[in-house]
Amino acid sequence: MIYLEVKLPDIPGSLIELIKPVSLYGGNIYGVLHHHDKKIYNLIPVDIWFELSEGLIQESLENIKKDLIKKNIKIIKISVDAKNQILTFILTGHVFDTDITDTIKRLDSKNIKVFELHAKFTEVDEISSVMMKVEYPEIMTKVELLNEIEEICKEKKLFIIRS
Amino acid sequence: MCKGMEVKFCLIGMGNVGTSFLKLLKEKRESVRDKFNINTKLVAIFEYDGALINSNGIDLEDLLRDYSNLRNNQYWESNVKVQDLISTLDIDLCIETTPTKPDTGEPALTHILEALKNKIDVVSSNKAPFYLKYDIIKNLANKMNCLVKFEATVASCVPALSIKQNLIGNTITRIRAILNGTNNYILSRMTAEGVSFSVALKEAQELGYAETDPTLDINGYDTAGKLVILSNELLGWSKSIEDVSIKGISKITSHAVELAKLDGFVIKHLAIAENNDLIVEPRLVRRDSPLNVQGTLNVIELQTKYAGSVIMMGKGAGGFEAGAAILNDLISITIERERMIKQKS
Repeated sequence: MIYLEVKLPDIPGSLIELIKPVSLYGGNIYGVLHHHDKKIYNLIPVDIWFELSEGLIQESLENIKKDLIKKNIKIIKISVDAKNQILTFILTGHVFDTDITDTIKRLDSKNIKVFELHAKFTEVDEISSVMMKVEYPEIMTKVELLNEIEEICKEKKLFIIRS
Repeated sequence: MCKGMEVKFCLIGMGNVGTSFLKLLKEKRESVRDKFNINTKLVAIFEYDGALINSNGIDLEDLLRDYSNLRNNQYWESNVKVQDLISTLDIDLCIETTPTKPDTGEPALTHILEALKNKIDVVSSNKAPFYLKYDIIKNLANKMNCLVKFEATVASCVPALSIKQNLIGNTITRIRAILNGTNNYILSRMTAEGVSFSVALKEAQELGYAETDPTLDINGYDTAGKLVILSNELLGWSKSIEDVSIKGISKITSHAVELAKLDGFVIKHLAIAENNDLIVEPRLVRRDSPLNVQGTLNVIELQTKYAGSVIMMGKGAGGFEAGAAILNDLISITIERERMIKQKS
């Protein structure tokens, strides 16, 4: 969820000018709140909450900001709700032989929590496949997350297939 | 270059693609003339050991009746090379379809550059020159005021490259694609039947979908080459194949495929261009994703700023498929050339 706080002139049509770029760049609007009681110099603080497609958040948000600046809409605050993100991936190779508990613990030490795990194998010491679902904090980018996983994979000669 | 809408051309390489193109041209010649006012005249065919040259035009009916007899034709000249003769030919367009080495792009690269140096427009079905030396070819074409088209190099006649013209007013932010029918067939079979990688590969070879030596397909090199061309054309990048992070499909096990299915995923070999990165690797794709195409099909998803996701899907290989892409390029180059000549005069 993205929270955007702006100041809009108290004239007809100004709300539409705020909503247009949010909608144009794929924002799904959840709520708009006018603070008429806080009007100063004909400017009303307005809060708007919306969601953007995962993976396009940064790019869409930049475009929205640019458009609002072009329209002379004063941005007071933008914040992206802090919530954990999820990634599903499959590891193939000697997943058990290379100590799966160690793999999970090492991810955990980087604040990457494995919360679901499924395994398929014929013999524990043969090549096996494991599907993991991990939760990682929003401050961590997907690239950072993958770097952490890939470092372990490289060391343990595991092959990763991710979503 | 072009007199009116007559286009005189040479064909380099009369293998499966070259022959299919000529068959298609023979079939569609009249409709091309009626619809586009374009008269095509084939004046030379080059092969590795000589050339068939007739400035009055090679009769397609005669030629295709028995093209294995090419070397017995009265106009056949043995031991002549493209680079020695191309400057002497009165042609507007060169169509390049020779078998080419994937690591050097030769001999197609030399043919293409020679044609451009002689101010001849080029249509090619060869990937390697474009994923290895894209900038050199494009710069030379610009310098010589020539047109170069290579639709057949990516997903054959699926308009993966020419769609650019229809998205000029839009912005493409990401490309995700499946560009190798062999790999997609193998993964589709592993998903549908639960067979191992080696069994699915053997089956693909028996059906003629995979080469006897499938290395370039399964290690992802073929897909990577196509991704370079796609991203350079559609995103305006200047990449070569060395810029692609490549992982193949040989390490995918049937266990991995089963696990993916448990959570509503399938494993697909994706080509991705995003954030200035080029990636070819197996990925988990949602079963209901438009990227989950079956068998030997190719699919290209363009994430755009204003239209959202634009998806193209179709057969990505085959002689007639490539031939149709070449014919398309021939027509569009001729129309564009005519427009340029009119603009000048």
